[in-house]
Amino acid sequence: MSRFSILCLLLSATAHAADPQPVSFHFDVNPLLSDRCYTCHGPDKESLEADLRLDRADGIASVVTAGNTEASELYRRITSSDPDERMPPPDSGLLLTPAETDVLRRWIEQGAESTGHWAFAPPRKVPAPQEEGTTWARNEIDRFVLRRLRDAGLSPAAEASRERLIRRVTFDLTGLPPTIEEVDAFLADDSAEAYERVVDRLLASEHYGERMAGEWLDVARYSDTYGYQVDRDRFVWPWRDWVIRAFNRNLPYDQFITEQLAGDLLPAATDDQILATTFCRLHPQKVEGGSTPEEFRIEYVSDRTQTVATAFLGLTLECARCHEHKYDPITQAEYYQLTAFFDNIDEAGLYSYFTQSVPTPTLVLADEPTKEQLAGLRADVTSAEQRLAEIAAEQRASFDRWLETARGKSGEQAPTELAPGEIAHLDFEGEIAAPNTATAGPVGQAVRLTGDDAVPLEVGNFHRFEPFSVALWMNTPDHKERAVVYHRSRAWTDAGSRGYELLIEDGRLSAALIHFWPGNAIRVRTTRPIAVGEWLHVAVTYDGSSRAEGLRIFINGEMAPVDIIRDELHKEITGGGGDNITIGERMRDRGFTGGMVDEFRVFTRRLTPLEVSHLYQGNRLTELLGKPVGQLDDAERAQLFEYHLSTANSDYEGQLTETKRAREALANAQNAAQEIMVMRELDKPRQTFLLQRGRYDARGEPVLAQTPAAFPPFPEDAPQNRLGLARWLTSDEQPLTARVTINRYWQMVFGAGLVRTPEDFGSQGQSPTHPDLLDWLARDFADRGWDVKRLLKQMVMSSTYRQSSHVSEETVGTDPENRLWSRASSYRLPAEMLRDAALATSGLLVERIGGPPAKPYEVEVSFKPTKPDTGEGLFRRSLYTYWKRTGPAPVMMTLDASKRDVCRVRRERTSSPLQAFVMMNGPQFVEASRLLAEHLMREHGEDNATLLTDMFRRLTSRRPSEPEIAILTQLAETQQARFAAAPEQASALLKIGASPHSESLDAVRLAALTVVANTILNFDESITRR
Amino acid sequence: MNRQCTGHEASVDMPRRELLSRFGMGLGSLALAEMLSPPGAQAAPGESVAADKLPDEAGVLKSLHFPARAKRVIFLFQAGGPSQLDLFDHKPLLKVKHGTELPDEIRQGQRLTGMSGNQSSLPLASSPFAFQQHGESGAWLSELLPHTASVADDLCIIRSVNTEAINHGPAVTFVQTGTQFPGRPSIGAWLSYGLGTDNANLPAFVVMVTKDKGGQPLLSRLWGSGFLPSKHQGVRFRSGKDPVLYLSNPDGIDADGRRDMLDALRRLHELQLTQQSDPLIETRISQYELAYRMQMSIPEATDLSDEPAHIFDEYGEDARNPGTYAANCLLARRLAERGVRFIQLYHQGWDQHGGLRKGIHRQCLETDQASAALVRDLKRRGMLEDTLVVWGGEFGRTNYCQGKLQGDNFGRDHHPRCFSMWMAGGGVRPGMTYGETDPYGYNIAENPVPIHDVQATLMHLLGIDHERLTFKYQGRRFRLTDVHGNVVDDILA
Repeated sequence: MSRFSILCLLLSATAHAADPQPVSFHFDVNPLLSDRCYTCHGPDKESLEADLRLDRADGIASVVTAGNTEASELYRRITSSDPDERMPPPDSGLLLTPAETDVLRRWIEQGAESTGHWAFAPPRKVPAPQEEGTTWARNEIDRFVLRRLRDAGLSPAAEASRERLIRRVTFDLTGLPPTIEEVDAFLADDSAEAYERVVDRLLASEHYGERMAGEWLDVARYSDTYGYQVDRDRFVWPWRDWVIRAFNRNLPYDQFITEQLAGDLLPAATDDQILATTFCRLHPQKVEGGSTPEEFRIEYVSDRTQTVATAFLGLTLECARCHEHKYDPITQAEYYQLTAFFDNIDEAGLYSYFTQSVPTPTLVLADEPTKEQLAGLRADVTSAEQRLAEIAAEQRASFDRWLETARGKSGEQAPTELAPGEIAHLDFEGEIAAPNTATAGPVGQAVRLTGDDAVPLEVGNFHRFEPFSVALWMNTPDHKERAVVYHRSRAWTDAGSRGYELLIEDGRLSAALIHFWPGNAIRVRTTRPIAVGEWLHVAVTYDGSSRAEGLRIFINGEMAPVDIIRDELHKEITGGGGDNITIGERMRDRGFTGGMVDEFRVFTRRLTPLEVSHLYQGNRLTELLGKPVGQLDDAERAQLFEYHLSTANSDYEGQLTETKRAREALANAQNAAQEIMVMRELDKPRQTFLLQRGRYDARGEPVLAQTPAAFPPFPEDAPQNRLGLARWLTSDEQPLTARVTINRYWQMVFGAGLVRTPEDFGSQGQSPTHPDLLDWLARDFADRGWDVKRLLKQMVMSSTYRQSSHVSEETVGTDPENRLWSRASSYRLPAEMLRDAALATSGLLVERIGGPPAKPYEVEVSFKPTKPDTGEGLFRRSLYTYWKRTGPAPVMMTLDASKRDVCRVRRERTSSPLQAFVMMNGPQFVEASRLLAEHLMREHGEDNATLLTDMFRRLTSRRPSEPEIAILTQLAETQQARFAAAPEQASALLKIGASPHSESLDAVRLAALTVVANTILNFDESITRR
Repeated sequence: MNRQCTGHEASVDMPRRELLSRFGMGLGSLALAEMLSPPGAQAAPGESVAADKLPDEAGVLKSLHFPARAKRVIFLFQAGGPSQLDLFDHKPLLKVKHGTELPDEIRQGQRLTGMSGNQSSLPLASSPFAFQQHGESGAWLSELLPHTASVADDLCIIRSVNTEAINHGPAVTFVQTGTQFPGRPSIGAWLSYGLGTDNANLPAFVVMVTKDKGGQPLLSRLWGSGFLPSKHQGVRFRSGKDPVLYLSNPDGIDADGRRDMLDALRRLHELQLTQQSDPLIETRISQYELAYRMQMSIPEATDLSDEPAHIFDEYGEDARNPGTYAANCLLARRLAERGVRFIQLYHQGWDQHGGLRKGIHRQCLETDQASAALVRDLKRRGMLEDTLVVWGGEFGRTNYCQGKLQGDNFGRDHHPRCFSMWMAGGGVRPGMTYGETDPYGYNIAENPVPIHDVQATLMHLLGIDHERLTFKYQGRRFRLTDVHGNVVDDILA
């Protein structure tokens, strides 16, 4: 056969150019128009030339005359010899080949039919072909496949051997090799249901959930660290275990989508359903000092949106982030409309550097006893608070007595001592530390602040269950957008603002207690801006309740009207450093530049309004306490009553202490509870904007949550939020979700997708190898309740799946890429399976499901080395391997694992010498080889032939041939001789790995057999899925 | 030809090399090699694989777009943001204005990092180091760089580089991959993909990071392959026992033992081939044989023991200490000699937010001599002609002080609007200083060189049109320079 004719043969199988069949617009013409013409004649209005859109029927009609190439401007242009006329322009690098030009010619001649892109129309209802004269086809998949094979003049490959089959299906469904016992049982079972029994057993195995979760972690960009530069550890593995459970209980896939996108919005959502939404928070997160928070918050929102687009819709949505999509009907505005669904949670752009706060919003992950304990403590607080109110009401008589007697003595106290509980007072008399300066204050001297130089106090490390108050005189020189008046915290964004603070925000006073800003905090802000250039007396009082209503701002003795900005505080406000109050400056925040402060006081009580008024006026308390009882009006009596309770009533004080104790107990329990990042909708939706050129700071028009117009409409009765989006994704009319899903699972089971670009179902993606089969499966899947186990069973039960992977001359010529599924695919096993198989066959594998990430040997040699675990953690399935984004597990990476930076739905398969190093020299594999050898030495004693046969079977699932045994026996003998001559080499080899080697076994023989085991471990049949 | 028949995933089942050999064809076979080009590969029609290379070693570019001036690149990446104002960009005005506020008309409202952006005062800070002109070219360099000064006439110093990013992670990613956010291939990966390798026994793209340096962390994705096949990702040479992950045989297995094992493995594979003709098996055989050869070639390349004493004198005593910047520079030369296409060094610690005077001095002690020695050594061997050396970081530093200006022990914040890099060899004009900043050293006054232009120029010197080396991923043709980049013709020799 000449080279040329082979070329033609190959060509005809892959391109439709040489086919006598009609040209398909969907699969032949549109891909060409998209790839070569859309850049200037596609959906992007910005780059549109000549006002011609070839992604639209009217545009095509304007340059194509059906049946007549002569009259078709399009054809004239693509065949013109004038470089100025020629399309695509010669310098574009997009020129059509003669074969491609021919496709367009024949399309025009055949009537120039044009319809939209195939994937944007709902899956068609196609009956499976009726193939006559075959017993090969077991189910519908086979009938579709057989039809195409016959059309191409091919027949299916023979069925794979039983050993191959059980090995293949066991890896595909559980990610592990079959045991010898399982192989033997299958070989011994000659009933018609033997294979089905194996399949059912595998689908029921808990390892099935692990295998399926492993695939999903790539899609979900799962990582045990935050990513970006600092890349700290984060606590997200309970979500990974949720995925394993979801697959094992066969959660319908539409539910699987819904819970991960919107579990929090389901009616009466369970903790488990809320936990599912951690999926939306698995993107990388930033902490690097000095970063612009909004820039990264926008990045998170985009990542969420793009992940959903890739994972469920197979759309390359990110193209529309900066401009209209060049190929698919998605405008830039529509991109931002989609992001609006994910823009609506109370999150920060940066996580906290100085504290371990979990970025909000969060779910408290508590087991049942803890939940009960928390509920009990909450009830204790409520009843203590109720009791406090009751006691207050009971104190009228005591108050009257006090009015008559005790209060007279107050005249003996200095006016400032009338407000007890003061623990600090800065009067700013005397020298002021430079470069802050002295200035005239309301009382003697005050300080004028530079904004960069702090005035520190030595008190202020309050817990959130402790009442406290701060009072000061202040004077702002200008209307401040933002200024820190005082605070107790280590830093602003670098500490998630942990602590408490008084700021000026947009000219208003704003007081807050914060665990992590913005989602775990209380904040109140005055409704009106404060006066500029005037001395104001300000007091902030707090009652220890962790509620916004317990936080008050007083200006010039009067309680200021406030807006409640946040009212969700359920973790400590201490910690992070910066334990005491600081005035006028904060790390990387805007200080109180030019601001003046005087008479700064701190109290360990909530001051009453009367006391605040007294601090402002200087004599209010003295005045009232000196006033004859009969002359007090109602308001004055009320103020005095509150003052009495707070300062001179032991019953009330006793209950106040009880209340604090109850709050402390609740706070301690809440602080101890573990939190995990989840989604929770903001009460008031955030306004989302189109961002010009995708820049976070270039806001364009405001947009509302909506789905792109080119797709079926948003369900009318669905809420315009993530839950509605999930319904839209899983609705009957949705053209993509089911197709994209079955395609990914087809890829998982058959080695490549029906659409070979699982990440792109748009017009630049590849056309399906079997459009009808894709549609049939998609419909069948959705119609039968999105049942994943059923889908996988359908696939692996098919004759198509059961074919041999043997490559015949005939099929390789006609079907080199296996686009017709004329055989089973063979490829190197994924990273996880290679390592897990070594652990499983050597008996080292720890089979426990779920739990915290494990650190095997390889984490020690990653780019960001960490200490490996000792014991179990070394031998857990690779699914659990600690994933650090900036230095992922190096063995996994060498073997083509996904990096998990962004959503990936396909892995590459490469073959490199670096992989051989890992498998031959990596301690995990060397140790596994030794353990296997040890085990077999114990089982088989001196009998090398039996031992080697068993070893070979365990690693490849088949019996070795005579020549194979001969090669292995010879290797065992040469190694035996080598190690006998150098026993120290043997003991050096046996020392590798944490598991001790058996002293009772002959070290020389064990070393020799370890080498043999490692050789078989590296043998093609151990590492290739066939 | 024809992307239709290859598409994204031509090689799922059938690595092209094996398919070729199955049919007994020459590996350089034009038509087939083209047809079976790797997934996503984009080469212009009519270009062909260089005939003397196996397809696995060849790049996707079948011919160069321009005559190559450089065959390889050594990129001395100075991570953290070296202060151009204390090394290359001499600003006498700052002496006069020291301690005064940065004028608003100079700052022009540009965004600052969150580290100094909320400072009430931004006082200008002049360099505590003396500047002098050097060589015939009269290049201005500070006293911190005496060795670099000695090769000044071989350098092209660009004082007008600018970037879009203001924080380390995004900025380093931008220089290395052309975008600020993760996921794109790095320069070295693009070159490996486009040009292939000249020595299949060594990786085409090697990365070395100075050991034991603190400072802003680096991440392995900086030398990642993004969406390109992973074989193009940088291989980081470690300074310990194994330059490459698990390169050495396990304890107890010597070279002979390893050969026994590989022979047995080969026989098993050959036996398997007689049962079943499968290209994957052939791949497996060559994979293990190549691994064996690499086990020889990498230790040979990284073993400095045959370097004469005067070489260590030239690079500095540090060069005897594996993993130091000096040792990595020397290693870079050895790898360049052996045909490694892209050698990327990282030296961390240039992030002087405070204590600039001491900090930058230490950085220069660690890097100045070896950087200059590398240029001189390459020149002496006649290799500077076709080796491009690039020195630079991810951004510059502000002309004002971060925090308090107290004495001369101040710091500088990140500054993206202008900073300096130098290039040498590989077709760049020697003895040139290019681009100018304003008298404050804050904005560019003349000939701005955005990062994408640096990248476009680098590729141009290697013979590549940066707009024509593309990879189709998710329906779009991506390139290193995104939709930007112009070759800086003025600096070409």
